[in-house]
Amino acid sequence: MNNKFLLLWLLPLTAGAQAGEDFMRSSGKIHVVYGVILIIFAGLFAYLIRLDLKIKKLENKQ
Amino acid sequence: MNWKYWCWKLVTIVIFIYVFSAGLLIPLKPGIEEILPSRGRAGEKLGLQIKAYNTSFTKGSIEVFIKSRDSFWIKTKDLNIADDRTLSANFNVPNFLPDASSLSQYSIIVSSSYDGAFVIPGKLILSQDSVNLTEAQRLWSGVDPQFASLSKMKFPYRNILYETIRNTFFHVSLWFAMFALLGASVYHSYKYLSTNHLDHDMKAYAQVRTAILFGLLGLATGSLWARFTWGSWWTNDVKLNMAALSMLIYAAYLILRAGISEIDRKARISAAFNVFALIAIVPLIFILPRLTDSLHPGNGGNPAFGSEDMDNSLRKVFYPAVTGFIMLGFWLSGLLYRAEKLHLRIEDRLT
Repeated sequence: MNNKFLLLWLLPLTAGAQAGEDFMRSSGKIHVVYGVILIIFAGLFAYLIRLDLKIKKLENKQ
Repeated sequence: MNWKYWCWKLVTIVIFIYVFSAGLLIPLKPGIEEILPSRGRAGEKLGLQIKAYNTSFTKGSIEVFIKSRDSFWIKTKDLNIADDRTLSANFNVPNFLPDASSLSQYSIIVSSSYDGAFVIPGKLILSQDSVNLTEAQRLWSGVDPQFASLSKMKFPYRNILYETIRNTFFHVSLWFAMFALLGASVYHSYKYLSTNHLDHDMKAYAQVRTAILFGLLGLATGSLWARFTWGSWWTNDVKLNMAALSMLIYAAYLILRAGISEIDRKARISAAFNVFALIAIVPLIFILPRLTDSLHPGNGGNPAFGSEDMDNSLRKVFYPAVTGFIMLGFWLSGLLYRAEKLHLRIEDRLT
């Protein structure tokens, strides 16, 4: 489980590399806020998918 | 439809809709980004170039003031508006300054009938050759001028932070929710130790798992925020390192659980570990950063959420955000708990 969540660390890195320094700092750094929201959603969805898989496994066992 | 079952979940959704729309749509107050030059001399002409954020200089009437620490001020002689965010203001700095030293800091205040009044404190340094306070008090006005005010709710403007002040609602709320979940899990661990009822163990486990998710998200979002405000993905800030350390403590909790196969033994040992883990991280995250210096607001001795860091407009979104994330945390951990419980029930039936 932890391996999957550790991948989240890469998210800000890739976002920064692709988008570029200037882009992140433009428009009053609003893209940093979007990035933060994106990370949160990614984490919540990762949690959701894991839970989904867990329930799927239970259904198969039944 | 079971009303009690859905009611608080609907409330959670409504809170989140409010937090995301208010947190992203309410604009920032206007503010002064920088002034050029930042030095001037008494008795000379001073042409100040002012670069501002979120302003509409082309609309409304504008006045610019230089204000001393003791609230003596002079008003701009004339000003040139280049565009909505830039203007140059010309001052005749009087021969004497209302300050007993030869070098002192002054604030610049821009008052606009359209944007309201905003200030950059202590940014201008004025110098004088000789001190003459009585003469200075005659040359500088001591009566407070009428500044334009704005009634609309806006978030405070901070240099360096800019729009990222909105991250307060998301990044900080994650940590609050994490601690709420950890607190609840310790309660359930305690309950398990006193009743030996496996239900409590599963609840505690689900809450710790969700808290770890929130903690990791808190670290990741904080890292991104730090990159564009403090200039580095990771700083040697005590609070950061201690937060990472507490994540490791909870990683140990998961490893401990995975390492014990007998259910009752696993529950008992991990419950005891969980109680001690929270006791250990409270001083790590709340006390240590206050004893030393930290980049986080409210550390290095000062209480958090002083009026400097958290104003009423932020509070109106921040408190709902904290409530929303806490409720979301309990919703998520509730789902995990129910899945775990089903798992146990199916295992029991199979064996």
